[in-house]
Amino acid sequence: MTSNHAPSDTCGCAESRRTARLTRRGILGRAAGAGAAGVLAGLTGEGLATQLAFADTVYTGDVLVVLSLRGGFDGLSAVVPHGDPDYYKARPAIAVPKSQVLAGDAMFGLHPALSPLLPLWQGGSLAAVQAVGQPNPTRSHFQAMEEMERAAAGTSVRTGWLDRMLGANGATSPFNGVSLGASMAPRAMAGPAPDLSLRSVDGFSLAGQSSTKPMAATINSLYADAPAVLAGPAKAAGAALATATALRAAGYTPANGAAYPATPLGAALRDVARLVKAKVGLMTACVDFGDWDMHEGLGTAAPGQRMYDHLNELARALAAFAADLGPTGLAGVSLVTLSEFGRRVQENGNRGADHGHGNAMLLLGGGVRGGKVYGAWPGLAPAKLAAGDLAATTDYRSVIGEVLQRRCGLGDVTQVFPGVKAANYGLATARP
Amino acid sequence: MPVTDVPRTMPRRSLLASGAAAGAVAATGGSLLAAAPAQAAPATTASLVSADPLLHLLRRATYGPTPAAEAEIRSLGATAWLDRQLAPASIPDAACDALLTRLPLAALDIPGIRGAAAAGQLKVRGYDAMQQLGYAAVARAAWSERQLFEVMVDFWSNHLNVTCPFGDAWDSRVDYDRAVVRKHALGSFADLLKASARHPAMLSYLDNKVSTKTRPNENYGRELLELHTVGLVHTEADVQNAARLLTGLTVDKATGLYKYDATRHAIGAVQVLAFAHANATAAGGEAAALALLDYLAMHPATAQMIARKLCVRFVSDEPPAALVDRLAGVYLAQKSAIAPVLRALFTSAEFAASVGAKVRTPLEDLAATIRVLGISPEPTGITGLKGLYWMLETLGHAPLRWSPPNGYPDVAAAWASPSGYLGRWNGHLNLAAGWHPKTLTRPASLVKHLVPVLPTTYGGLVDALAKRLLGTAVTDANRVALTAFFGKQPTSLLKATDSAVGGSLPYLVALLLDSPYFSVR
Repeated sequence: MTSNHAPSDTCGCAESRRTARLTRRGILGRAAGAGAAGVLAGLTGEGLATQLAFADTVYTGDVLVVLSLRGGFDGLSAVVPHGDPDYYKARPAIAVPKSQVLAGDAMFGLHPALSPLLPLWQGGSLAAVQAVGQPNPTRSHFQAMEEMERAAAGTSVRTGWLDRMLGANGATSPFNGVSLGASMAPRAMAGPAPDLSLRSVDGFSLAGQSSTKPMAATINSLYADAPAVLAGPAKAAGAALATATALRAAGYTPANGAAYPATPLGAALRDVARLVKAKVGLMTACVDFGDWDMHEGLGTAAPGQRMYDHLNELARALAAFAADLGPTGLAGVSLVTLSEFGRRVQENGNRGADHGHGNAMLLLGGGVRGGKVYGAWPGLAPAKLAAGDLAATTDYRSVIGEVLQRRCGLGDVTQVFPGVKAANYGLATARP
Repeated sequence: MPVTDVPRTMPRRSLLASGAAAGAVAATGGSLLAAAPAQAAPATTASLVSADPLLHLLRRATYGPTPAAEAEIRSLGATAWLDRQLAPASIPDAACDALLTRLPLAALDIPGIRGAAAAGQLKVRGYDAMQQLGYAAVARAAWSERQLFEVMVDFWSNHLNVTCPFGDAWDSRVDYDRAVVRKHALGSFADLLKASARHPAMLSYLDNKVSTKTRPNENYGRELLELHTVGLVHTEADVQNAARLLTGLTVDKATGLYKYDATRHAIGAVQVLAFAHANATAAGGEAAALALLDYLAMHPATAQMIARKLCVRFVSDEPPAALVDRLAGVYLAQKSAIAPVLRALFTSAEFAASVGAKVRTPLEDLAATIRVLGISPEPTGITGLKGLYWMLETLGHAPLRWSPPNGYPDVAAAWASPSGYLGRWNGHLNLAAGWHPKTLTRPASLVKHLVPVLPTTYGGLVDALAKRLLGTAVTDANRVALTAFFGKQPTSLLKATDSAVGGSLPYLVALLLDSPYFSVR
């Protein structure tokens, strides 16, 4: 923090797009969970043995990257049901014309702004699942995010699902579960398993620390006997400093000419790729990409329109991430997108759509059997809708469950999602 | 879960297994561990701060104690001090007011912003005024004498959040701060709520300005119920009815001012919870909407929501239900007047029993650091002030900047992140050493300011600084660790020429601010 952080978003230029609304982890105020205990427990393991040897865990599954599209992602814009005539009836102003849809099949195709992802789709490492949702629909952003990340509907379980995933995989180090891009951990990681939130890898350094000024050691001593609510994050910070310092010293240049967009999303995915390649023990990584709450001005499928530009940033960032990892790296990564709910089928009067229910997920990874849209399409005829929304025919947890089983070495999905059966779409190959 | 209930499971050995600590032990000759006796961790954070009730009140009702604030509360006593803080207009605030004149755009109303834009002094849809408002919020937290008022402005800014900067509120966001939040921060919640509902900033942020009778937009109606008033006790039909009743509350495109547009209003009977209204005429739509807001402001569920949130801010993360109930009763009896609720809160037995139960947020930590170190604004300009704002931005807590409508979280668990702690530590040293922001005014001599009478030993230096910065004493083990930073023992003799009271003093100051004691308020 010795430098003055240049405000990247204070251009003061005339901007037609809104500033982000639901970009941050807005649910945390309600998720007073055991996050502190989580990082604390992580330090009891044998990871992070020295400054140069990163955590060495026995985990051999894919790194599960969870990209949270906060604010209510409009799956109907991203994975367009162009074969469903009711789609065009419901959205006269904002539907994506059939002539502009990319790839896909007789029913679905991709929004044209996703064109940077076309090679991945055609190459078979990008797939979508349509009509996905939560078991207990709510149109409250905050309740929906809380429930999506707790992911244990109908139970009194308070931990987050990624915390349980980390626990099931025997996580021992904060670098087993990392969230990038924000200094606060997501609700999904709340619980006893270790995790680490990093605004950025390069920004993680301690001012004043030197061989003659042992700041880190002294701080560690000061927290040695502190109450856990304070000692947890403090000690995790101390432990993570060593790894971050080594990473920073090594530097990082994305491979294969990968061009990440110069945005927080691009920076966060770049850091994920960096941690994957550095083999710091990553089991899961979380990244947020918000501002999908397009009640107004979602717009048509043209550059300069809100949805177009936002999907395009998403596509460019994911394409760069895949390029940076290369085929070998991508073979050990499964990325899923999640959003708390989809948007209303019927557009509103403001070229937008209000909160809805059923949604689309994207899956990216070397083990993904891509190039197709999975799921059972219920149709958009008024009689088929659930309170005006796309009905959810697939529990989002069963989709993740299939990924966990086939790619992340998890035998029993109910350890992570109580009472949920993994889907059997065959949307990923079994990891060798 | 109460912040104090997390069990401590961290064995000391595992800390040493980490790379950072391994290097540290080498640097201090490996003597640290041997010197520190094994002892049980305190079960709660209560023992980390002074139990003095006046200091407890200062830590909670302000952005952090200063020697002057402590002298004032000791002279006035708790009751008179609180009365004075609850009457902010009676408190002279010349220095802060003078500083705020450097942020003139933050004081403009909507015609003022638009006029400045028309005159070419501002960009249309520019962020300059909104950024100045963010800087002003930092300045007020650090340097206003009206501390409790500023804490409450922050509280309501979060409760009725309109993120700042926000493009669609380019001309109205700073006016919202002045004409809605600051105007009513210690008034009645009903007035505050109704003012927010008729302000272009809120109507833009939650889309009510584009809501029409044929296509009601539910965004504001939903958050009005869920976040601003009753919470999740409503149905989807309540949201839709509220959205219909709120149609017509919009923004005049020509002037940017609030306007009620009867032609947009959806007439017809509505019911929201137990509120029923015939809503028979378009001309009567605004009055009907205001009647709903009055009903919601005085709903028992709203009283619970406001009382609990105030307790989370001022008492503990999981406040006692009996206190919340009692304060909700005061709220209803006083027709949503805020000051009586605060008075009841601060004089409650539960408040007195909550010493040390709150952990500082990043904003509270930074403001408390500035206040306790006696750092004051730069002589001219705002470069350093901007630096403080951007420090907070990297910590995820720049004032007013939270994007979603629910406001920044106010519980320890939400901020318990390794990155957040690291950022605070870096802030402490940067401020203590004067590295960043460079231009702020610092005491001419840090050592004379903080320890006017030089102790004779390193242990004495630690103790004097702890008393001054933390208001309490550190444990023996912590004293050993802090003197070991200089390669000394607590009994080592201190000379006036030692680096520990010269160029290296900022490190010791920062370490005390980094310690668990300063993390608690």
